[in-house]
Amino acid sequence: MTEHEKYEVNFFKPLSEHAKANKKLISRLAIIWAVAVFGFHFLLIIVTTPTPEQTLNDFNSVWPQVVEDNSATVEMKQVFAKSMLMVLGKNIAVKDNHKAILKESLSWSVYSMQPDSIKPLYKLEPISAATSIGLSSEGFDKIMKDLLPSSLVKVKNSSLSDESKKALPEIMNLYLIHNQSFLTDFKFLGFPFHYWYTAQFLLILFVLLCLYYAVSIDRMNREYDFVEET
Amino acid sequence: MNKLNKILYALFFTLLFSDNLFAQSADALEGELKLGPAIILIVLLLTFILVGVFNRAKDTKTYWAAGRKISPVGAGMAIASNWMSAASFLGMAAVMYGSGYHGLSYVVGWTGGYVLLLILMAGQIRRYGKYTAADFIGDRYYSQGLRGVGAVLAILISFSYCVGQFAGIGLMFKWILGIDYEWAVVIGASVVLTYTLISGMLGVTKNMQIQYVIIIISFIIPLFILTYKFGYFAWLPQVGYGAAISDIVNGIAPGGGITSMGHDFAILPSPEFAMPWDPATGQTAFQWLAICFSLMIGTAGLPHVIQRFYVVPRAKDARWSVVWGLFFICILYWSAPVYSAFGKILSSNPEVGKLTKDAIVVYTAQLGDLYPLVIGFLAAGAVSAAFSTVSGLLVAGASAFSHDLYFNVINPKATEKSQMLMARVGTILMAAGVAIIAILDLGLIAQLVAVAFSLAGCTIFPLFLLGIWWSGSNRTGAWAGLIAGGSVATVTLVYFITGKYGITLPYHEFINYYLNAWYFAWLGAPLAIAANIIGSKFAKEKTPLEIKKFLAERVHNIKVD
Repeated sequence: MTEHEKYEVNFFKPLSEHAKANKKLISRLAIIWAVAVFGFHFLLIIVTTPTPEQTLNDFNSVWPQVVEDNSATVEMKQVFAKSMLMVLGKNIAVKDNHKAILKESLSWSVYSMQPDSIKPLYKLEPISAATSIGLSSEGFDKIMKDLLPSSLVKVKNSSLSDESKKALPEIMNLYLIHNQSFLTDFKFLGFPFHYWYTAQFLLILFVLLCLYYAVSIDRMNREYDFVEET
Repeated sequence: MNKLNKILYALFFTLLFSDNLFAQSADALEGELKLGPAIILIVLLLTFILVGVFNRAKDTKTYWAAGRKISPVGAGMAIASNWMSAASFLGMAAVMYGSGYHGLSYVVGWTGGYVLLLILMAGQIRRYGKYTAADFIGDRYYSQGLRGVGAVLAILISFSYCVGQFAGIGLMFKWILGIDYEWAVVIGASVVLTYTLISGMLGVTKNMQIQYVIIIISFIIPLFILTYKFGYFAWLPQVGYGAAISDIVNGIAPGGGITSMGHDFAILPSPEFAMPWDPATGQTAFQWLAICFSLMIGTAGLPHVIQRFYVVPRAKDARWSVVWGLFFICILYWSAPVYSAFGKILSSNPEVGKLTKDAIVVYTAQLGDLYPLVIGFLAAGAVSAAFSTVSGLLVAGASAFSHDLYFNVINPKATEKSQMLMARVGTILMAAGVAIIAILDLGLIAQLVAVAFSLAGCTIFPLFLLGIWWSGSNRTGAWAGLIAGGSVATVTLVYFITGKYGITLPYHEFINYYLNAWYFAWLGAPLAIAANIIGSKFAKEKTPLEIKKFLAERVHNIKVD
C-alpha cells in the first residue's frame, strides 16, 4: 500500500472502524431525510387527482344554456352569477385580467335577469343585484353580497362578449380544480394531513434527526476512543 | 456590561407597557409616522449599538472568530438569530400568502438543509480549523487562485443574501416612519452599517443572542392573540391554526369576528391556499421540489453559516450548536404559516386592497386589530431579524475581502491594522452596493434570498462536500466543478437580469422555468459535483500527500500505523 493509499479518505471506503460506523449512521439519516421530504412529495404527486369544487359543477350545469342566453332560466343565471362571485371571492388568488372577465360576466348576468321594460334604465345597484341573484344575508351569501359593490361593472352590450365566452370555462377550471387526494382530505390536528406533515412534522423530524446524530456521534466517539481535539 | 443591559431592558419594558405613548391608531395600514413602533425601534437599535460598543473587536482574530468563547446553546441562539432574517420573518409568510402550499417549500428548504450541514460538515469544518470558507477552499485545494475565487464567491453570496434583507429593512422603516421606500432603505442601511462597524463579531454574537429572544417573542405574541380572538386553539397557536387552514379550504361563514377595517372574519371556500401546487398559483410540483432541494444544499454552502462553526471551542460544540440552532429556528418556522393563514382570511375582502405581500405579517396583525404596541414590537422584531443577519453577512463579506482577498492574495505583508481597515472599507462598500440593488425592488424578499442559496449550492457546497469526504478531489476537479456550477449560475442570472429589463433571449421561457433564479442549484449542484469528480479522476495531478494526511489525521482522526 502506498503512502497515498494509506491516507485516502473516501466516504464509501472507510479507513477505520469508527469511520465505518460513522458512514452507516450518516447514510441511515440521509435516507430517512430524503424519503421523508422527497419520497412523501413524490407520493403526493402520484396519488393526487384533479378535483373540482362544487361551484365548478354548478357552473358547468348552467353554462351551455347561459352562453346561448335565450334558453337560460332566471334560476340558471342566478347559479351562474353565484359561481362568478365564488371565484371573485378568492380575491388575491385571481389574476387581474381574469377578474375583469368575471366581473363583466357577473354584471351581464345580473343585467340580463331584469325585465325588458327596465333594462335600458337599469343601473347595477348592489342591493337590487343581490335580490336578483337571490342572495340572503346569511352565511356565504352575505360574503357574496359584500363582494357586489366591488364586483359590478358597467354593462356595455346586451350579450356577453365573445372574449368572455371563450375565456370563461378555462378561467373557472383554473381556479376551481384542485390537486386533492386522501392525503389532503384526511384531517390531523385540524390540518389537512399533507399540510400538517410538511409545515410541522418535517421540521420536528429534522430536529429529531439532528438530535439523534449529535447523541449517537458522541456515544460513538466514546466507544471507539475517538479523540476529536488534538 | 450587565448593569448596562439591565438599564436598557428596564427602559425597553417601561416603554413597552406605557399606554400613553401608543395613542397612535394602527388603523391606517401605512403612510404616516407611527410613534409607538418608532420609539420601540429606536430603543432596540440603541440597545444593539451599546451592546456592540461594549463588546467591540480589538483585533482581526476577534473580529473574525469572536475568540471562540461561546457555549453551544449561545452559539445555537446566534446561529438562529443569524439565520432568521427578513426572509424568515417577513418573506416566508409572504410567499405562503400569495402562493399557499408552494411557500412551504421555503419552510422545509430552509430547515432541512441543517440536517445535511450537521451530518456532513459541521464537526469536520470545525476540526479543519480555518477562519473563512475561502481559507478552507484555498488550503484544501492548494491554490491561491481558488482561494481568490472562494473569496469572491463568499462576497457575491453575502451580497445577494443582503439584498433581500435590506428590502425587508426598507419595508419596515417605510411602515414605521411613513417615508418613501428608497429613503427607508438608505436610513436602515446606514444604521446597520454603523453598528456592524463599531461592534465586530463578538459584539454581533452577543447581540444575536439578545436579538433571538426579541425576534421570537415579537413574532409569537400576536399569534396567541389572533388565535384567541378568532376562536382557535390559542394555547399553542402553531397547532391551533390547523383548523384555520381547513376552514380556509371549506370557507368561513360570517359571525366569527370583525377585522380592524370592519369586515367579517369570513372567507369563501379557497382550497387553492392549502392544496399542493394548485394550478391557480401558477406553481408546479417540479418548482416545489427544485426550490426545496436548492435551499437545502444552499444552506450547507453558505459562507456566513459555515463560518459560525469556527466560533465554537470544539467540534462537539459545533454539532450541538446546530441542534440547538435548528430547534430555535424551527420555533419561528412553525409559526410563520399562521400569519399567512390569518392574513389570507383577514384580507379576503377586496376593499382591503392589494397589500404588499412582504409586509403581510405586519398587516395581518393590523387587520386583526391587535394592540398597536404589539404591532410596533412585531415590526421592530422584523427589523431585528434583518439586522442580525445583515451584520453577520457584512462580517463574512468583509472578512472575505480583507483576509482572503487582500491579505492572502493581494498583499501578504499587510499589517493587522491595515487588514482591519480593509475589513471596514469592505463592509462600507458592500452595504452601499446592497442598498442600491435593494432599491431596484427586483423580487419578493424570500426569492431574492433564494438566489444566494442557489449560488452557494452550485459553487461552495460541492467544494466542501467533496473536499471533506474524498481526498481524491483535487485542484483540477475543483476548477472543473466551479466552472460547471458557475456556468449554470451565470446563464440563469443573465436570463433573469435581461428578462427584468424586457430583453427576450432565445429559449427564454424554457430557461426561466428550468433554471429560474430562485432554484437553479437543483441542476447546478449535481453538475458541479459530477464535474469535480470527473475532473479529479482525469487530472494528471494528485492531491498532495500532506493534504491527504491532514484530512485523514486532523479532520477524520484516522490513525495510520
